[in-house]
Amino acid sequence: MTTLITKTISKASVPLIILFSISLLIAGHNSPGGGFIGGVMFAASLSLLYVVFGLDYIKSVLNPDWGKWFGFGLLLSVLTAFGAIFFGYNFFRSSIKFIHLPFIGEIELVSSTLFDIGVYFVVIGSLLYIFRKVGDDK
Amino acid sequence: MNIAAITDHLPILMVAIPILFSALMMFLRSAPSVQKVINLTVSFGLLILSILLLINVLNNGIVVYEIGEWGKYGIVLVADLLSAGMVLLSSGISFLALLYSMDYMEEESLGSTYHSLFNLLVAGINGTFLTGDIFNLFVFFEILLLSSCGLVVAYGKGGFTKSDHKMEATFKYLVLNMISSFIMLVAIASLYATVGTLNMADMAAKINVMSETGNLPWHIFPAALLFIVVFGNKAAIFPLHYWLPDVHPSAPSPISAMLSGVLIKVGAYGVLRIFFLIFDGTLYMFQPIIIFLALVTIILGSISAVGQNDIKRLLAYSSISQIGYVFLGIGMGTVTTIAASLVYLVNHAVAKSMLFMASGSIIHEAGTRDMRKMGGMVNSAPFLSGMFLIGAMSVAGIPPMGGFIAKFVLFDSGITSKYYIPILIALVFAVFTVFYMIRAWQRIFWGEVRSEKYDEYHSHGLSWKMSVPILVLSVVVVVFGVYAEPLLSIAQSTASQIIDPQAYIDAVLMREIR
Repeated sequence: MTTLITKTISKASVPLIILFSISLLIAGHNSPGGGFIGGVMFAASLSLLYVVFGLDYIKSVLNPDWGKWFGFGLLLSVLTAFGAIFFGYNFFRSSIKFIHLPFIGEIELVSSTLFDIGVYFVVIGSLLYIFRKVGDDK
Repeated sequence: MNIAAITDHLPILMVAIPILFSALMMFLRSAPSVQKVINLTVSFGLLILSILLLINVLNNGIVVYEIGEWGKYGIVLVADLLSAGMVLLSSGISFLALLYSMDYMEEESLGSTYHSLFNLLVAGINGTFLTGDIFNLFVFFEILLLSSCGLVVAYGKGGFTKSDHKMEATFKYLVLNMISSFIMLVAIASLYATVGTLNMADMAAKINVMSETGNLPWHIFPAALLFIVVFGNKAAIFPLHYWLPDVHPSAPSPISAMLSGVLIKVGAYGVLRIFFLIFDGTLYMFQPIIIFLALVTIILGSISAVGQNDIKRLLAYSSISQIGYVFLGIGMGTVTTIAASLVYLVNHAVAKSMLFMASGSIIHEAGTRDMRKMGGMVNSAPFLSGMFLIGAMSVAGIPPMGGFIAKFVLFDSGITSKYYIPILIALVFAVFTVFYMIRAWQRIFWGEVRSEKYDEYHSHGLSWKMSVPILVLSVVVVVFGVYAEPLLSIAQSTASQIIDPQAYIDAVLMREIR
């Protein structure tokens, strides 16, 4: 798969895919999108890099411990859910705030976005961990 | 946050705390000793919380916890006597199994993913017992399935189970349970299409109305049959029992204790919850099926156990036959038989966990899993010999152990409910249980010394972390035998709550919505 065409196209498209996955993540919850979809898209773009440039090359450039990403995401999600208990509500209760910003307009701030970001990291971590393990020859 | 706030949030804490700490454990992999201390503390804390939950349910009735305060559309956690009791049972056994595994497991296995997966397993079990939403039940089934798969392949010290055996067993376990998950999904989907809700209490109320007006659609029956397949697979009931004798022996001993002590009880819990709550109107049709399957399970399990030479395989086959007795009580379906089968379930969970832990220590002592190569260990391991005898007597149903009370109550209630033939068959095969358990004890501990000592394993023969859980569980076995009244009375009130689910339905549906 390491032809010049695929390399060039993936170099151009991977940043776009990552940006789109982040926009899906932020759009989520009430409209289509959310942590899971965004995470799958991010993982797909990185696995495109793995396939096109080869495992060894990507490892030499960027080699995070994807298991840690999984753990971080899970921790963030659970802590967000626990947060509601400390404010006297039931577990998982989401809080919502509308904020007016100049030039941008009204923005909806939801605490469940933090939960979605956690899901994002869980999905990325688990999918890429499995993908890299399967790709390894050991 | 004060104490009152904790008691308000008890049901979700039982699920959320293990998940939180399983995430934390991922970051503490470089510090195994810290992991051990934290995990033991958390597990003990969960045990205390589960005791508080049971006391709360006993005093205040059914506890309903609304996750996220979504009103009538949200997922609820419901803790009635059955749920709270099962949570207490599983928390106790998982704490002791964790304590045992600190010295039993190989350091490398223990340091990598064991603690995370164990916490996830506990979360899955607690969630399964506490949830009031049938799709949520499916999700927690998946959590406990996947995490237990990861735990089965973990290594104990000494490496008495080859890794290809472990892989084969895990593959069987995973594939069979994936198929049953798929079947469960189909059953849930068809129920949802029929009644338009996933909340179990709401479902029960709607199906009750349908059967009272005579409008019960025919596909409720096949859906209920699918649930028998699903829970029968989890509990290793006759046609789907063959994964168990591979999986439970090849898991490390503390995990075998968890699998045999708690995980197969999840199937029995599922039948009690789903059939007596939702499919109440179809129960007359399924009781004979459950009784028949239970009897075949008893017969197959006990006959196969007689022929085993591997100590852990023997215990696994014995688990199959014992879960048959639990299902026999459930199938007969009166208040007294269900109370009896709950007593049986608790006694078997405690005794079988203890036996699996003791067998792990015996394997380390003898250096083999084959009972033909053991013998004369009563001199070298007197403590284990006594503990194994207590467990064997309890499983065999010899007084004064808890198993005697359980078998007595079960047979007594069966006879008063006029199920003469099933009780006769069960009684005949209870004699097999006595035979194989006592013969196993005699082969391991009496006779001439046959095993050559494997000195490298003796260094960690029996530390306090391994002997204390065995001792505690055997004390519980004896206490259930000589002072059974509290257990019997709790089982009685639990059974009447199961038979008449109106209180459960009211508690969920009539709650005030904020």
